[in-house]
Amino acid sequence: MMASGNYIKTRQLGCSRVAGMIFGLFLLLAGCEQAQPPAFRLNMVQMVSQETSTEYQQEIADVLGALFGTPDQPYALPETGLEQNRLNLAAGPAWSDREGTVHGLYRKHCVHCHGVTGDGRGPTARFLNPYPRDYRPGIYKFKSTYNSSKPSNEDLQAILVNGIPGSAMPSFALLPSSQRESLVEYVKYLSMRGQMETELINYVYDELGEEEGVRIPLDPAKDPEQREVMLEMLAEIADGWEEAPEQVIQAVQEQLPEENRPAEVVAVSVDKGRELFYGTRANCLKCHGPTALGDGQTDDQNVWNKTNKKFQEDNNRLADRIDRVRNTGGLDAEGREQLQADLLTLARREAIGARLYPVRNATPRNLRRGIYRGGRRPLDIYRRVHAGIPGTPMPGSGPASSDAQGTLTDAEIWNLVDYVLSLPYEAPSQPQRALPANALQIAR
Amino acid sequence: MFLGGPMLLGGGALLIAMIGGCGRPPELGPVANMATATKIRQSFNTAGGESTDTTGKASPAVASTGWGTLKGRFAFVGDPPRMGPYGVNKDTATCAPGGKPPLQETLLVDDSTRGIANVAIFLRKASRVHESAKPASTTVLFDQKGCTFLTHVLPVGVGQTMEIRNSDEVGHNTNIEGKNSFNQTIPAGQTLGFVPRKEEAVPQAVRCSIHPWMLAYYLPRKNGYLAITAKDGAFEIPNLPAGEDLEFQVWHESASGPSGALVVSTPAAQALKWSGKGRIKIRLAPDEVKEIEIEVPAKAFGG
Repeated sequence: MMASGNYIKTRQLGCSRVAGMIFGLFLLLAGCEQAQPPAFRLNMVQMVSQETSTEYQQEIADVLGALFGTPDQPYALPETGLEQNRLNLAAGPAWSDREGTVHGLYRKHCVHCHGVTGDGRGPTARFLNPYPRDYRPGIYKFKSTYNSSKPSNEDLQAILVNGIPGSAMPSFALLPSSQRESLVEYVKYLSMRGQMETELINYVYDELGEEEGVRIPLDPAKDPEQREVMLEMLAEIADGWEEAPEQVIQAVQEQLPEENRPAEVVAVSVDKGRELFYGTRANCLKCHGPTALGDGQTDDQNVWNKTNKKFQEDNNRLADRIDRVRNTGGLDAEGREQLQADLLTLARREAIGARLYPVRNATPRNLRRGIYRGGRRPLDIYRRVHAGIPGTPMPGSGPASSDAQGTLTDAEIWNLVDYVLSLPYEAPSQPQRALPANALQIAR
Repeated sequence: MFLGGPMLLGGGALLIAMIGGCGRPPELGPVANMATATKIRQSFNTAGGESTDTTGKASPAVASTGWGTLKGRFAFVGDPPRMGPYGVNKDTATCAPGGKPPLQETLLVDDSTRGIANVAIFLRKASRVHESAKPASTTVLFDQKGCTFLTHVLPVGVGQTMEIRNSDEVGHNTNIEGKNSFNQTIPAGQTLGFVPRKEEAVPQAVRCSIHPWMLAYYLPRKNGYLAITAKDGAFEIPNLPAGEDLEFQVWHESASGPSGALVVSTPAAQALKWSGKGRIKIRLAPDEVKEIEIEVPAKAFGG
């Protein structure tokens, strides 16, 4: 049975109907005609940081509306490579038609956490740890590709099938694969929209603005040059997604661990992995801690939290400056004008800051629990060690691209994989042969 | 009791609606006006669209010739800030030898000359590039020792190899933000190559996640028309295209303008048409060596 609020059919008479009528009457009296349809929201943190004027904010919203449509009516130019049919199934309110086709998949399954705009700010988001992913920067943690590359469709599918262990992200393995494909398409769509928004904000900042007191509008309908620039931006964003399958990290065949290795062979590899874990080449202990409990370096943030932290810090700095100016007093006309402008800016910034979630530091994984967010297969751990985890402090140890130089060899990465997978079965108090005498001191 | 509940509910809703109003809170920003959006979408779909006058915008056909040089100095006016020590809490033997952590470098003002170090000044768009300013095929060294990056703001050419070196006995990782994102472990005493492929509009932060206090910047550009001021605040950009309007971006990590734009509004700065985005306009005659002296008030750094 559908659980969507839109489709609860009430057959009760009396109390609830009367209540509904009275409620409707009150709404009319209050002046609201109808609930507004959900709308995509702008990235106000970035807008305000780059001093995007309200006129430009409106124009950027309009251009995004033109290129990507609305949450009820998504739209994709052919340049994006997105499939409109899939987007249509994923978007809009949740309902199913007479044939049983489910529509509005995103709003049925995802929106409560990831939000209408895909900014990771759904109604439940504030209460989750880790916070739901903000799709807009187009950065994904758990994938098969090089650090700076986009995830492949299969990577996003895998997340939907398996969920993310240790987080609030559940498995959607019970959905038909066609529905998951639609959702993957929609998530990519939300990312591309977010990436395009960033490009537009940068474009407005870099190229437009006021020239001799006259504002140059962002209006691609009138300016073919702007149109061309936007198509180029869109093509570059789409290229990043399209080339993902070519950026999948290929493990070196000769260095792959053999299947069904005898215990002694695994033990040798685990020993080598332990050596690397505590050594200065792989440096794992610095963050994961001398006992691998994830209690090493915990002062850093991921990119999503860092952005918010910087925004709040800038707000605090501006507030300090205003205080200082006020305390010194004796302002001239220009100084008073500046103070007024600063106060307005601060009010605007603080309104946005108040909506941001508390900044959380990145927690290095506790490797003794046997919970692996990106999957527990040796290949999954190999990819985490090889590419690192994009958007987080976790660095890669393999080559950063197919033609780059790696820190560790593939064989060494596999040793680390064996060691990491052995950690949940090793008592933390067990003497660790390869632990250097000054490990604690180093970690401190 | 029969109507009490609903009445209360309705009353509550009315109250909320009255207080909250029906509009959207301004901090959420505007939403798309779909009528305008539809018009824009049509212009994307009709090939060519309504062709407006682009003739007036065409750049002057007169080709400029010759090359000129821009040099100058950035000096701090006011009480120079004192840099506090880094909050070193890891690997203290290497990172804070003798218990003395290194000082921060977020705003370095030279005591004797008042020069501001690490101001980046670079040409935004080049119509033509002199042979000497074409990206070099040599590599650039980006070293770290004592858990500080030895170059605080590093210019690098797009496609040029950055040799990231770790001269410490402890391991580091180098986490580069921006369009050429990169994050890799750099073992003690080793060097790794990194090639930025995309140009950045402003310098991007480079950090080490193991020692999060470590902070530097790098600026990948397609041509060599950029300079980072030295300790005395001086810079020089030779062989710039002469006879045309040149627009430079001026950036400093601690500047209070948007995206680190250094904004100065002194009369001398106004003569350079200094904008709110930290941009200046200069025109050089062939073989001219133009010198600019910029007095930067503490205000430009939020002081």
